[in-house]
Amino acid sequence: MNKPLILVVEDDTAVSSLITTTLETQSYQYHTAKNGAAAILDAVTYHPDVILLDLGLPDMDGVEIIKKVRGWSNTPVIVVSARSEDRDKVEALDAGADDYLTKPFSVDELLARLRVALRRVRYDGQKTNQESSQYENGDLKIDYAAGCVYREGREIHLPPIEYRLLCLLAKNTGKVLTYNYILKEVWGNALPSDTPSLRVFMATLRKKIEPVPSEPRYIQTHIGIGYRMLRVSENS
Amino acid sequence: MNVNHSKWPEPQSQGEGGRPLRKGKLKIYLGYASGVGKTYAMLSAAQIQKDQGRDVAVGFLDSGCWPETEALAAGLERIPARKEPVREFDLDAALKRRPRLLLLDELSHVNAPGSRHRYRYQDVEEILRAGIDVSTTLDVQHLESLKDVVLNAAGISVEDRVPDHFFDMAFQVQLVDVDPEELFSRRREKRKRDPACQEPLFENRKNLAALREIALRRLAEWISRSSESIGKPLVPEAGEHLLICLSGAPSNEKVIRTAARMAEAFHSGFTALYVETPDSERMDEESRRRLRENRRLAEELGAKMATVFGGDVAAQIAEYAKVSRVSKIVIGRSAPSRHFFLPEKTLTDRLSQLAPDMDVYVIPNQKNSSQHRNRRLRMGERLSWKDLGKTLFLLLLVSLVGLGFYRAGFSEANMITVYLLGVLFVSIWTSTWIYGILASLASVLLFNFLFTVPRFSFRFYDASYPVTFLIMMSASLLASSLTMRVKGQAVLEARKAYRTEVLLETSQRLQEASQPETALQTMAEQMQKLLDRPVLFYLPGENKELEEPLIFRIKDRPFQSAYTGEEERAVALWVYRNDKHAGATTNTLSGAKLLYLSVRGQKSVLAVAGIVMEGYPEMDAFVKNLLLAMLDQYGLMLDKISSDREKQKAESRAQQEALRANLLRAISHDLRTPLTSISGNADILIRNSKMLDEEKKQAIYANINDDAIWLVNLVENLLAVTRIENGAMAIHMEPELMDEIFHEALHHLDRNISEHQLSVELSDDLLMAQMDARLIVQVLINLINNAVKYTPAGSHIQLKAEKKEDWVLVQVADDGQGIPDEAKLKIFDMFYTANNDWGDGRRSLGLGLALCKSIVTSHGGKIGVKDHFPHGAVFYFTLQSAEVEL
Repeated sequence: MNKPLILVVEDDTAVSSLITTTLETQSYQYHTAKNGAAAILDAVTYHPDVILLDLGLPDMDGVEIIKKVRGWSNTPVIVVSARSEDRDKVEALDAGADDYLTKPFSVDELLARLRVALRRVRYDGQKTNQESSQYENGDLKIDYAAGCVYREGREIHLPPIEYRLLCLLAKNTGKVLTYNYILKEVWGNALPSDTPSLRVFMATLRKKIEPVPSEPRYIQTHIGIGYRMLRVSENS
Repeated sequence: MNVNHSKWPEPQSQGEGGRPLRKGKLKIYLGYASGVGKTYAMLSAAQIQKDQGRDVAVGFLDSGCWPETEALAAGLERIPARKEPVREFDLDAALKRRPRLLLLDELSHVNAPGSRHRYRYQDVEEILRAGIDVSTTLDVQHLESLKDVVLNAAGISVEDRVPDHFFDMAFQVQLVDVDPEELFSRRREKRKRDPACQEPLFENRKNLAALREIALRRLAEWISRSSESIGKPLVPEAGEHLLICLSGAPSNEKVIRTAARMAEAFHSGFTALYVETPDSERMDEESRRRLRENRRLAEELGAKMATVFGGDVAAQIAEYAKVSRVSKIVIGRSAPSRHFFLPEKTLTDRLSQLAPDMDVYVIPNQKNSSQHRNRRLRMGERLSWKDLGKTLFLLLLVSLVGLGFYRAGFSEANMITVYLLGVLFVSIWTSTWIYGILASLASVLLFNFLFTVPRFSFRFYDASYPVTFLIMMSASLLASSLTMRVKGQAVLEARKAYRTEVLLETSQRLQEASQPETALQTMAEQMQKLLDRPVLFYLPGENKELEEPLIFRIKDRPFQSAYTGEEERAVALWVYRNDKHAGATTNTLSGAKLLYLSVRGQKSVLAVAGIVMEGYPEMDAFVKNLLLAMLDQYGLMLDKISSDREKQKAESRAQQEALRANLLRAISHDLRTPLTSISGNADILIRNSKMLDEEKKQAIYANINDDAIWLVNLVENLLAVTRIENGAMAIHMEPELMDEIFHEALHHLDRNISEHQLSVELSDDLLMAQMDARLIVQVLINLINNAVKYTPAGSHIQLKAEKKEDWVLVQVADDGQGIPDEAKLKIFDMFYTANNDWGDGRRSLGLGLALCKSIVTSHGGKIGVKDHFPHGAVFYFTLQSAEVEL
């Protein structure tokens, strides 16, 4: 497979060069854009594998860019922003971003998020070729047709809500799903009063699918934002 | 001769359609009799105004016998009159039309039953409040305080009257005057022309002259009054205060009017006092009605109302007068009161005795004797068979005892004592003094009949018996009279005590209420206790509307849905907007089923209380006063609650301001150190990179990284501080799993954590607490980082959460050196830093723990530190636990 191409949208030169330097060390290809208009143009022209997007751009709001890009592309978008309020993150995620990273961030963190996004791209690419009636992720297997979940080959029993929850996360592996989104998809409504139940169901679900519940491998918690299913790489 | 007087220059014009910023202005065309041309003058002025482009409308015009006025009204817009039940001015139509100036004939008019207000001047009041100017006409004899004067001077009595304070608040008064001769001839001419048209009153020339004089004098009074009041509210001059006593006597009315005129003349305050005595209980219907009328009259004439309780009227008046700095007392002349064997001085004499330094004015009164007649009539009403039975039974009993004594050969003195005892008991057990007198008489007769020789006859031989009878009679009458008085006092005391108790209890319970809702609940309960009927409250909502009523029902008392129907709501809304009492038993909108009272705060009406009157007896003055006092207390309380909240808000704002200032100071100082280190180190690397060996470079890299991380942490804390500062709004509480929170916190810890042993203990995987997750994670990070920073490498740090009743207790325990007691007190203060012994330049803003404290406190929890066993420190905080319904 080719070296992945990353589109870096960032108006601050110092941060931009920090990111590109980091990408170079991992020998990723990259392209930089300094404003929103250029970013959209580049996204159309180069078909990047992942977009790293700063929300505070001089010409338009980053959320607008996400919406525009989502209009025609499924390219993973990782938001890199100094806005740390949960509200801003949720807004970006609901607009279609896959992940977010708050400034200041560590280089390790940035690379880890990139890997998650790239894995998703790769998996989506494979999936189109094979039967999608099954989901496999590490030791976890979901048979959508039979409605069964297996861990290490053994079937585990999940109540309906937990099963729906797991399927939703699995189908969006690598993407951070906000509480609102999950509630809407699983419960059919988005009443804030249901979020506590969501947390409890998630905790019980984790106990059943995680080998070590205190160190979750599959489902990541994003406090104040939502949850994300991670693709467990074969070698990890 | 037309005299036009104005208090202020013509009003500035006001934006059409806008909300009224001011009250409307009242112009009165004053005349001394009908036919002088008041309406004519008013209409001519209106025509001129209209020609000048002013928005003028005619509210109601009764042209009656003067067709020329009708002609003059031509061309003016007329607001259609109501047709039902009789032709009448339509107040609502006028309010809806909202002209700039409204013409309304005959201010003293009494509205037909079914109108909103009983009197037209009340209509005018409401129109003025709506910001509409009003021109109206008035004959001087309709002024309330002049009734007696007019009666004396012209021998005429009129029924429909206008209160003087209303007249005095007029913006302009224009006197319309013609010579009585001319008026007389005008009338004669008209009568010739149109015999059907009769001007019934004041045919006499002398009367007209007298009335004219009164009108001129009243105008002069108005002018002197208004010239004084320009630019300042009318306040009574210091030292002058008039007091009158209200009663149900027919003569009282005159006293009130006279006193009102005196108050006017002295420019003094004016209080109407009602002394409630034991006798008030037994007042007949007629007197009660008159008392109510008199109260209303006094109130209309601008008196402040007061009620006191006590048996001795003179003493009560004197006492009240002293306490409230009254300088003059006005009373009607009263006959000496007739208490048996206690001939009292007249009220006047007693008053001069009790309050020697006060002026007492006595108003003569021709109808004086009627009071005694009333008393006799009252007695008749109160006779009851039950009391008569009691009296007979007691008399029988004492006679039997007397007979027993006689058998035993006791002396006659013993029997007399037994009869006296009997009379005493009769007085105690029966409700009026008449039985005491009856018993006294009967005792003497029975004694005579049964025990004097010859026995069983009313004759007697011994000449000394008449004296014995007389003494016996006097003694028993005295005993009965005294007993009745004591009883009366006791009843009064009980009422007074009850009133004090209810008021005290109300105020006590209101004091306890810290929320408007609980205060309302308390108020409703107290009102129900007092009145024993359902009550309801309307609270103000948006846009000067009222919200749905809050109904407080009583078991076994019916509550009809009509009580909250459209019409009733309209009355409540009127009360709210006009801040006046209305509804059943009042003069305004009296067709309502409920009585509506406004709860007044300092600035506005805070609520409207509705009291069901239909099917319940009318409240007496005592209860009504009590109720008003309670509502006042409630209003005060609501004001207090809201001002407390304001104060709290202001305090917390001030605190935040102080926090911000301290923070800025600390930051600007402490930011420099890591920044110097970073920029200095980077500078070295840029300039001298080649001269440094790899090990040195690595050390410099590590320094830069450490300082940067320190700055990152600082920024996180600062962000948290700003969120707290923004107030409770920024704190977004949600139930969160403690498990997730712990994970998040551990994820963000210092790199140095690897040198310490960290363990986590959760009592329940599904333990949830109410919190703003980001802030609580920050608290945990700060606490754990502190533990890492202040304990030697290799120490154990334990993170624990458990449920304690409704709270979740979170603890961060270490086994380091612990914290000395004196530091424990200050450790949560802002900018406090432990004077650590390591001296390795660990920086701290002293912000971390202070921030933790403010975060936890704003969550409603507690934070603290205690010793760990055997050594070390435990930092703990509590959060409200959350339950989940699945």
